[in-house]
Amino acid sequence: MLSILAVDDSPSIRQMVSFTLKSAGYSVIEAADGTEGLAKAKEKAVNLVLTDQNMPLMDGITLVKNLRGLPMYATTPILILTTESSDDMKAKGRAAGATGWLVKPFDPVRLVEIVKKVIR
Amino acid sequence: MKQSGDALFAKDASAPIGFASFRYTERGFKVQAVKVLPGEFYVDTDDTPIVTVLGSCVAVCLRDPAAQVGGMNHFLLPDGGDSGLASTAGRYGVNAMEMLINELVKRGAQRHRLEAKVFGGGHVMRNFTSLNVGQRNAEFTKEFLKTEAIRLLSEDLLDIYPRKVCFLPKSGRALVKKLAAADETLVMQEKQYQSQLVEKPVAGDIELF
Repeated sequence: MLSILAVDDSPSIRQMVSFTLKSAGYSVIEAADGTEGLAKAKEKAVNLVLTDQNMPLMDGITLVKNLRGLPMYATTPILILTTESSDDMKAKGRAAGATGWLVKPFDPVRLVEIVKKVIR
Repeated sequence: MKQSGDALFAKDASAPIGFASFRYTERGFKVQAVKVLPGEFYVDTDDTPIVTVLGSCVAVCLRDPAAQVGGMNHFLLPDGGDSGLASTAGRYGVNAMEMLINELVKRGAQRHRLEAKVFGGGHVMRNFTSLNVGQRNAEFTKEFLKTEAIRLLSEDLLDIYPRKVCFLPKSGRALVKKLAAADETLVMQEKQYQSQLVEKPVAGDIELF
């Protein structure tokens, strides 16, 4: 089963994202911030990372940079799911090595479509 | 609501979408107040009065007492169907909360320190449908705060009255005034706001790099 790491500091968002992805047949690992996300990503290689941007301890873009520094995450798709919609922030995400940028609120059907498209 | 001639929209280009920008002089206050319209939110680190008028909509006032930053939103759930977290209505509500929380966090708040005061959800649209729109909004809000483990300090929800709420974001004081029931203008405004929600899809842009 393909696994996805979902990182968000909001329990409601984690619940919504997990429910959507599990319903689509993926196994989901949850983390509440970038630091916890990085630790869980190192523990077990996942097939895709979906992360929020604004979080305590470590934000999403810093998490992307850290993951891209690890050989096991050199090519893993990483999607950022955030309320941030500015071109400036998107450019930073892209420069850090993110695969895509999704602006909240997310549509469950479209989220699954995008995940299917990029997951490996 | 009495407004003097110096009311103005002070648009800040760097402000997030939905950030309230209507400033006016509220009677009884020496400083300019900010009015939060349906679908908007506002955050500040001083005691700028944040004012809103609610019918069946809800306003959540959040504050981090340590960082001395607070804010308010004003929303209702789109009509129809389930209002669970993964439903269309639920996702709209979660997003309205998330926009407010993110702005608070950017200005120094920490999620686990947030405290809430919630208002509104009045049964004011009595000719609307058999469904109690206000109750649905109030229930969603309390469920959200529970899931997020945000402490609820006080609430003034439900009943049949529209409410005028004033929140001081730094000190956390909230003033509520119940207005005469069945204000036609307010009911019209909320209906209009809700019909806009139905037309707009509850989803943001997606860009693959």
